Parts: sequence; C-alpha cells; structure tokens
Amino acid sequence: MELRKLAALAVGTMVLAAACQAGAPGSPSAGASGAAKGTLKIGVTLPLSGGARADGAPALRGVELAVAEANEAGGVGGYNLELSVLDHAVNGKYNEQQGAKDMQTLVGDTSVIGAVGPYNSAVAKVQIPISNDAGLLQCSPANTNEGLTKPDFGALDYRKNFPDRINYVRVATTDDIQGPAMSAYAYNDLGLRNILVVDDVTTFGTGVADNFQKEFERLGGTTADRIGANADTTDFVPIITAAKEKNPDGVYYGGVVPSGGGLLLKQMAQQGLDVPFLGPDGIKNGSGEDEGALIQIAGSDESKNSYATVAAIGDFPAKAEFDGRFTEHFKDESDFKTPGAYSGPAYACATIILEALEKAAAGAADMAALREAVRANVTAGTAFETVLGSVTFDENGDTSQLIISFYKVDPALKNGKGDWVFIEQQDFGGAVGGAEGSPEASGEAGGSPEASGS
Amino acid sequence: MSSVATSAPAAPSANPILALRRAGPFFFVLALAALVYALIGPQQFANALTIGAIYALIALGYTMVYGIIALINFAHGEIFMVGAFVSLFFLGEQLGQTGPVRDLPVLLVLVIAAFLVTMVVVGLLGVLIERFAYRPLRNAPRLAPLITAIGISFILQNVVQIIYGPSPVNTPQIIAPTERFGLLGASIGYVNLFVLAAAVVLMVLLQLFVNRTRLGRAMRSTAQDREAAQLMGVDINRTIAATFFIGSALAGAAGVVYGLYFGNISFVIGFQAGLKAFTAAVLGGIGNITGAALGGFIIGFVEVTAAATGYFVWAQALVFTTLILVLVFRPAGLLGQQLGERA
Repeated sequence: MELRKLAALAVGTMVLAAACQAGAPGSPSAGASGAAKGTLKIGVTLPLSGGARADGAPALRGVELAVAEANEAGGVGGYNLELSVLDHAVNGKYNEQQGAKDMQTLVGDTSVIGAVGPYNSAVAKVQIPISNDAGLLQCSPANTNEGLTKPDFGALDYRKNFPDRINYVRVATTDDIQGPAMSAYAYNDLGLRNILVVDDVTTFGTGVADNFQKEFERLGGTTADRIGANADTTDFVPIITAAKEKNPDGVYYGGVVPSGGGLLLKQMAQQGLDVPFLGPDGIKNGSGEDEGALIQIAGSDESKNSYATVAAIGDFPAKAEFDGRFTEHFKDESDFKTPGAYSGPAYACATIILEALEKAAAGAADMAALREAVRANVTAGTAFETVLGSVTFDENGDTSQLIISFYKVDPALKNGKGDWVFIEQQDFGGAVGGAEGSPEASGEAGGSPEASGS
Repeated sequence: MSSVATSAPAAPSANPILALRRAGPFFFVLALAALVYALIGPQQFANALTIGAIYALIALGYTMVYGIIALINFAHGEIFMVGAFVSLFFLGEQLGQTGPVRDLPVLLVLVIAAFLVTMVVVGLLGVLIERFAYRPLRNAPRLAPLITAIGISFILQNVVQIIYGPSPVNTPQIIAPTERFGLLGASIGYVNLFVLAAAVVLMVLLQLFVNRTRLGRAMRSTAQDREAAQLMGVDINRTIAATFFIGSALAGAAGVVYGLYFGNISFVIGFQAGLKAFTAAVLGGIGNITGAALGGFIIGFVEVTAAATGYFVWAQALVFTTLILVLVFRPAGLLGQQLGERA
C-alpha cells in the first residue's frame, strides 16, 4: 500500500514538474530584460564528465563562447540566448541511452531552437531519429561515421519518418575520408607497411578502422592483425603479446580514449611494443595536463610516437584570433582553458544556428514555426560564414569542407607533460565527385577475396 | 540436503572413489592448464596466470562471505576498487612514489608496507560494511541484504568518484613494468612474477588460517551450521566480522597488485573485475576457497586464450560459456559448495 502511495506521489510530482517546464517556454516574453522578444535556448548534448570530459568539454567551450559573444552583441533577432547543457557521459563514458533521453528533453523544450552535439557517432545514431521526428536542427562538431548521413551507408534508417527533412548536419567530415587519409599518411609519410588494427567495437571505432584498413591494404600495406577489444577492456596485455609475434611496424586504434585508447598505448609501452600509434580524432582529446586525455593516461614519453587525424580544418584563417578570444574568455575556468580540436567546429555550429535564427526570427509565428524555420534555413544549401571558413551543407547534411588535419604528440610541451601539435591539413574537397565515388571503389577493393586474403 | 551431509562423511578419506572424485576437478584444471599452455605458449600463459591471480584473489572474498552467511556480497568488487585507491593514496600521495624503485630492499619494504596498509584499511572497511549494512539484516529475507550490498557498491563508487574524480588515474608502478627475465623461451616481467607469487602466498596463508587456527575452525563451524556453532560457544558476530575482514583484505591485496600491474585505475574497475571474480567463485563452487582460486585462474586462461587465438572480442562470451558448461555438468561448481565441508 505504502509503495503504491509513494509511486502515485512520484508520478504526480513528475507531471507537475513537466507542466512547469512546459509552461515556462510557452511565455517567452516573461523574463526578457535585454532583448525584446525573450530568451531562446541552444541545446548542447555532449559527454562532459569523467574520462569523457576531455572529449566534450572543448566543444562545449566553443558553444559557450559563441553564445556569450552573441548576447554581448545584443542578442540575435531580438532574442537573448542561453544554453541548455546536457551531459550524457555515465560512469566516465558516453552513454547512448542517456543521449537519447537528453535529446528527448531538448525536443520537448519548445524554447530550444537547435542543438550542438553529440561527440560520439553511436550517440548520434540514437539521437537522430528523435530529433528528426521533431524537426529539431542538430549540428555535430565531431561526428564522423559516414552512416549517419549518407543513404548509401544506411543513413535512411535514422531518418525513417522524414527522410527528406534533413535536420542533422555536421561540420566535421566523414570517416570514409578520415580513415583513408591516415592510411595514406601512414604508408607514404611514415613508411609503415604492416599495421596492427585494433577497434573498440563501436559504431565509430569499427567504422573508421574498416576505412583505414581497406585503404591501407589498397595502397599495398598489410594488416598484421585486426582485433576487436570492446569498450570496457582494461587488460590489453594478451592482445599485445599476440600481436608482437606478427611484428607490426605501427598500431592503428579505431576508437576513443575512454574505450581504452590510453590504456592500450600505456600497455604497449610496458610490453615493449615501441611502434608509432595512430588513430582518428577519438584519440586526440587534450594535453597531458587534462585528466582522461590519451597523453595523460599513457604518459608523455610513451605517447611521443602518436599521430592522429581530426576530421575538421585545423588551421583555419582566423585561428590565431579565435584562440586569443577563447583563451581570454575562459582564463578563469579550472580546466580546458585553451581550445581543443573541436572547439572551433563547435563554435561554428553555434554560429550556423544563430545565423539561421537571425534570418528566421522575423517571420516565425510561434516557437514551433521558428524551430522549423531555423532547420530549413540551415539545410537549404545556404553558405554560412563561420570561423572555419565558408560552410555549406549538402543534401544529406554533410559539410562542404572535406578537410582532414594531422596532429602529432610533442612530449616536451606543457612542461614535459606533452601535447598535440598540428602538422598539416589535407583538403579532399578538390575531388568532391571522386570522394563520392571513392568509398565504393575502396569498398570493392577491400571486399574482394584477394585483398582480404593477403 | 542434510541427509546427504550425514551419510557422506561415513568414510571420508578411506574411500578411494570419493578421493578420486575429489581429485577430479584438480586434474581437470591441470589438464586445462596443460592444454592452454600447449595452445598459447609460455608468454601468454604467464599473462593468463597474472590476470587469473588477480581474479582469484578477489574471488576468495566472494566465496568466504557466501560460505559463511550465504550472501552474495555485490559490494565486493568495489572493495577491490577501494583497495586499489588506498594503495595509490599510500604509495603515491603519502610516500610520493611515481615510478620504478630500483633499490631492492627499499622496494621490498614499500611493497610490503603497501600490502599491510591497504589490507588493514580495506579489511576494516569490510568489517564496517558488515556491521552496519548486513548484520542488522541477518535475519531479514534474503533479498534485503542483497539490495543493501548493491547500495553499498554504489556508495563506494560515488565516494571514490567524488574524491578522485571520474577520470582514470595513474598509479605508481614501483616494480618497473619493463624489467623482464627469460624463462622457457618467454620473456616474463618481474611484475608478473610478483603478482603471481603474492597471490599464491596469500592463498596458502588463507588455507593455513582456515584449517589450522581456532578462528578458522570457528569460521568453518559457523558456515556448516550457525546455530549449532553458537550453541558450542562460537562467537558468531566476531567470526563473521573476521570473515569479512579477511575477504576484504584479500580484495584489497588484489587492488594493490592491479595498480602495480596496470598502472592505471578508475572508480569503475570494481564492476568488471567483481563480475569476473564472482563468476570465478561460482565456477569453482561458491563457498569453496580452493574452488574460487581455481575458478579465477580458469577465467584468466579463457580470456587470454581468446586473445591469443584472435577471438578477443568473444572473450566475455567465452568466459560465461565456460561457466554454463561447468554448471551443466557440475551444478554446484567444480569443487562443490560449502566452506565448512571442503575448506
């Protein structure tokens, strides 16, 4: 009996809370002080605690900066802006279920006109169906799995109900470019020929590792071994022992640091497998001073031979100026005071949402219409002037900037704790048509029995 | 149940068939070890023994607590995790160790001190948990202490998360992880040897304690029949508290060696390791000390064999397949059940 009463009480409270939440944004003019029309929200859905904080926090900072600057400039389209920041890291790792819940929260809050995030492709997979149904614009600074947007890779599964109403865009390019870019770098620039490929058995990790491996083999390299080590692996010693017998001259880790990237590198050093460590953007998550970063876990000296790609422009024209504003704005924060690889892209995402809001603000009759107008504006093929340069989204929501940046660890930086340094960036945009066709071509090469048998 | 118990001990050691049945599981494990060795070679075998030893140390606590009060102490994995952090606190923060210590006598003192401090602190934590979370529920329905155990496990996780933050933390590896020696064509790390040796020494001490001391006898009698033991003058509360102390101290020792071996810990390591150790305890026959140790090594063998043969992604599934197979043929686990009967 008592339990039942308690349950009833709990349900009652939740209904009441929901009613309150629904009521607040319904009257947007209520708390308006500076701007005439009230306050709108930009949702932020990123992993922000635990080991995953090093992934999400630099991107959050980018959005925070963009919104702070917009408010200082007097708001956008007559509205003040605030952030609705939701963290979907659970126990230090990104969590799909929490990501889905958070997206439902954002979709349900009518004052949210767009969202920035997520960081991990596996989270995007569960969020896109929700935001697509609601028609909420979502801009990811960091997702790279090609299957999220491209129909050839199964993206229509995520926008089943409104396949033509694109609501998910990203300013990072895709893994069918990021993976092969590292293959070419490993083969040509680093001279590697026999690589051990480890992935964390997730949407992102397995996908990017597949892309890397196919292209590396197409170039003439061999795969020493391909190992799936699921995201809660802590003991990599046996797979390192097994791999050593195959004499790899490099290791590619398809995954993110919280899934074990840092532990793998640390244990490689302990087991005496002293070869270059390569990976996608998932392993480049902060300096040796940041808790949970690859360099911090593995140690600066152990990481000295590490290379990472980032699926976004690393050296954009306004970078020095952006870094200066960023560092000035966050100088009093306790962590992540300097921009990370995805701070600029997250800032760009926020810029795009705000520019679209600027255009949409006048004509929209109510909150729902405003949200839809923002979405339609972003995905209509408009060119946006962002900190990264001009960005246009194609019919699937993918960015026109097909740029991959390369980074390397310098163990001497940050007082010997180590940090990533930018090496170069490559623009794959010259062959937009080729880029469309190339994944299929390399897919055939990788899929043929001769190639996989070698 | 009781009729089996009374008819079986009629001729416990004289019966050769019974002796063979008892030796059977040991032969099974030996045969398995030989097979694994042949399959994966000495290098991987050393890896398997190392990780198996860590599982075994944790499994001992599960099995002792289950043996004496029939409680699956789900907080036990977290006690192991706390042990790893206590060791970090002592070695890293109090003694300021950061890397390998090359001076052997100093290293020995440091290692032994780390074990003693961690085992005492974590042992007392176990006693405290028993006193406040389990003892008041000793006569409550089975489900109640089980839920408290899960609650304690969350509390411990959250406390460590608040103190040390949710990110993984590096621990001082005072035994240089890259120092190795040759054996049977393999290159074995001194730290591997140390982990295995520490586990074996602790297990032998535990066996001696349970079988040769007064308190050990009290434990066995309490496990067999709590009320009868009480009638014979055994102080039940003290005996159960001692069981928790020893079980938790062993998990603390596992935490110390985990930190030394991997050099990186986080507040979530208790869940995975606890699950594996619990599986080890069930595999060996929960309540049975030797069984828990064997179970730990078997899980180490299965995991490493999966990695060595290229099926690492299936390691977890294979561990539980092994558990199911063993339970199908021996529902009470490899060595049967009771602390009192077999220990």
